[in-house]
Amino acid sequence: MRQQRRAGRAGASPIVLRHRQAVPGATTVCAVHPGSLPVGVWGHLADALPQDTGLTVLDLAGVPEYFEAALSGDHADLSIASLADRLTAAYRADREGPPQSPAPVFVGWSFGGVLAQAVIERLAPEERPDRLVLVDSIAPTDAYQQPDDALDVPLLLRWFAMYLGAKRSRDLSTCFDSMGTDDLATGLELLLDAAVTSGALPPDTPPPGLRKLYDTYVEGLLRNNRLTAGHRPPVSSVPLVLIKAERSLIPQDKTLGWTELARHGLSLHAAPGDHYTTLTRPDAAEVIAELSGRR
Amino acid sequence: MRHVLADEAQTWLIEKIAHRLGVEPAEVPPEQYFDELGLDSTEALILAGEMESWLGFELATTALWYHPTIKDLAAHIAEESGRRAAAA
Repeated sequence: MRQQRRAGRAGASPIVLRHRQAVPGATTVCAVHPGSLPVGVWGHLADALPQDTGLTVLDLAGVPEYFEAALSGDHADLSIASLADRLTAAYRADREGPPQSPAPVFVGWSFGGVLAQAVIERLAPEERPDRLVLVDSIAPTDAYQQPDDALDVPLLLRWFAMYLGAKRSRDLSTCFDSMGTDDLATGLELLLDAAVTSGALPPDTPPPGLRKLYDTYVEGLLRNNRLTAGHRPPVSSVPLVLIKAERSLIPQDKTLGWTELARHGLSLHAAPGDHYTTLTRPDAAEVIAELSGRR
Repeated sequence: MRHVLADEAQTWLIEKIAHRLGVEPAEVPPEQYFDELGLDSTEALILAGEMESWLGFELATTALWYHPTIKDLAAHIAEESGRRAAAA
């Protein structure tokens, strides 16, 4: 009974979500969403794109094993290849029917960029998009893969502050700028104070509650980190467009490692916000729309 | 370790969720799915952390997934609490 209910809840979330159908002859933007933020954040991009342009989202929440892996820590049966196979099949099924033109544009945010690239390399040449737009996504190359212990407490706290701020529509990204700490309990205490002060969390939020949220966030990061560790991507068959957030996950790095995979070129751009709010801010959506929606 | 009963866990969950939603406890149906109660994922996880602090033991993060209503989760908590109390 429990398994049936669980499956029923998971099955309620499809992989392919169509925000808007393109008018005949217009482009469709296909975004790959890796979770973390609600899939509805892509509505900002839909608003910023020309009204004749379609927007379809491939949502990893529609792959229950991926979602559960972050909760249970068990991802033995998951790989980027298996996820890309699922997304590719869903994408193809959605495009069955008369040929659609012109070619779509793929957009991938964060870990979604890694999956978008893997999906594109599974497509036949005539199916491929004319470019891949990567939004603050780190390349899955050897030089940019990190062991789990490289994700230390100060780094995770900074990323978690950005994430919490984006989830609660408050800017917490500067929380640790003036007072970094490598002690997790101290860092979460500082963040809880900042979150309550800014109105991101209610004043009676208990510290164990924030700790649970942090632990679950980190589990999701580690899942993606471990999936990436076993992935050997081919060079890209299409041009790459990288949009870095002003407060990126790796602020000092211009290319986030994509040069090595960019056989058909890599153009570099910037968008306002941090790694997470670059998907929630309308001004950042304008940048993504400009680089993905134009023909 | 004290054995938390299902009724006790259900009452705790209803009171906390009612407080978070700003409604009376009687307005929180124990058989409704958590994601239909108006709690977002951030609030649900914060509640889970507070609940673990109250219980004195950690629940698997999947507990909210496998037991997606107050009534189901309270029954699971009672079962888990009883198992731990017996083993202590």
